[in-house]
Amino acid sequence: MPTVIFQLPDGTERKVTAASGTVLMQAAVSNGVQGIVAECGGNASCATCHVYVDAAQSELAGGPNDVEDEMLDFTAAERRPTSRLSCQVQLSDALDGLVVHVPEEQV
Amino acid sequence: MSAVPAVTTAAPGAPVVDLDLADLRRDPYPAYAELRRTAPLAWVPSVGRHLLTRYEDIVLAEKLPEVFSSREEGSLLLRTVGPNMLREDDPNHRRLRSAAEPPTRPRQVRDLWAGAFERTAHELLDRIAGRGEADLMADFAEPLVAANLALVLGLRDASAEDVANWSRAMMAGNSNYADDPDIWLRAERATRAIEDAVARAAEAARREPDGSVISSMVHAAGPVDLAEIQNNVKVIIGGGVNEPRDVFGVGAWALLNRPEVRERVLKEPSSWKRVFEETARWVSPIGMYPRQLTQDHEIAGLTLPAGSRVALVIASGNRDESVFERADEFDLDRPHRPHLAFGGGPHFCMGAWVARHEVSAIAWPLVFGRLKGLRLAEGATASDSGSAAGRLDGWVFRGPTSLNVTWQAA
Repeated sequence: MPTVIFQLPDGTERKVTAASGTVLMQAAVSNGVQGIVAECGGNASCATCHVYVDAAQSELAGGPNDVEDEMLDFTAAERRPTSRLSCQVQLSDALDGLVVHVPEEQV
Repeated sequence: MSAVPAVTTAAPGAPVVDLDLADLRRDPYPAYAELRRTAPLAWVPSVGRHLLTRYEDIVLAEKLPEVFSSREEGSLLLRTVGPNMLREDDPNHRRLRSAAEPPTRPRQVRDLWAGAFERTAHELLDRIAGRGEADLMADFAEPLVAANLALVLGLRDASAEDVANWSRAMMAGNSNYADDPDIWLRAERATRAIEDAVARAAEAARREPDGSVISSMVHAAGPVDLAEIQNNVKVIIGGGVNEPRDVFGVGAWALLNRPEVRERVLKEPSSWKRVFEETARWVSPIGMYPRQLTQDHEIAGLTLPAGSRVALVIASGNRDESVFERADEFDLDRPHRPHLAFGGGPHFCMGAWVARHEVSAIAWPLVFGRLKGLRLAEGATASDSGSAAGRLDGWVFRGPTSLNVTWQAA
């Protein structure tokens, strides 16, 4: 059961534990993490579950797939090299301790 | 059809609230405010459904598509267009959506369609610019979005007028709660015409792929048959005209009534995006959509039995005061909270990126940029609240019936 840490724009953080195999967006939404909107429910059609993976862990989390890469060009907050759609980040024990930053805006 | 038969009566303990459909069409917002306050889940006999009206409850329902099924028995949309992805659940919904979606993704919109959208907008403005007056709904917004839709769908030999007329006929069917036989007849004629046009376009796209929705469905990895393409194109024509057209009209009307906001937006073109999202929240072009419960479920303090029919009233959720302060006001500076106008979950509006681009990046900036001294024609000013009677009409779908304006003709 990996634990992930959401750093919120107001400086607070939320630590959430989720089963391996679930996606990061689901872990956020089912724990009521503010700022992860996820309008499309995880289908990579809305770009409202955008997060920045902590720079030190970016390689570990991997890069975006093709559809995700396209959607990341249209996020409300600026795209950065560490940007991911949290609905496309599958959690595993290897990602235990993952830190992600939630942007100010999603829509 | 759903495994659980539809229950067409009130759930035990549900408050029964009589609402007149004509009143709802004229202005649904006072009734929604009352429902949110006193009966956030109410059985409304004239609609034959429970209306769910609070923001948080609607969001909860949207997150449970396996409970709040899109497969509704007796759906007006099913009657109008036949089986389609909007009234399907995953995995069948996902198969059809995946096949149709690629041409509506934002990069495709920008790279493949935006240039043509812009040319069409200029052509329409060229036609009216010298007149100094127009109805921006009939003379600009509707032909623009209909032409854009024909292009994105791949309906090569359909005119903007064909598409707009088909859309109007089907939308009337889809909101024909009064069961008017003339409305059904018009809708049937439109759907036959669309089937013919899609069959021709699919045949052409089979030989020569063109990046359109029909082409994408013809060449999809998972098999999609012609009837499925036809029915889903019908659904897209239904929503693809009135929703961007109505957002255009409501937003233009809002700015024409607020010169100080208009000046600000013209100085900061990046704020057209905010105008779009606030307009869609303020007067949502789709007011509600139906769901049917697959199992007993408790929501808004009531237990609904399996088979219960529910309407998610997103127009009401978007005016929920507990989420949006002074929710009845149009306010570009309101604290950022996501609106519900595009729906949520697997059925999140497929046309969202097309609509955003054609309206906020093209239609509004060109109209306000090219038509100097643009103002509402005398007598065209409706109430500023956006919820009083006037030129807005509808509750299942809501938008301006006309937008008469004048400007200084060159």
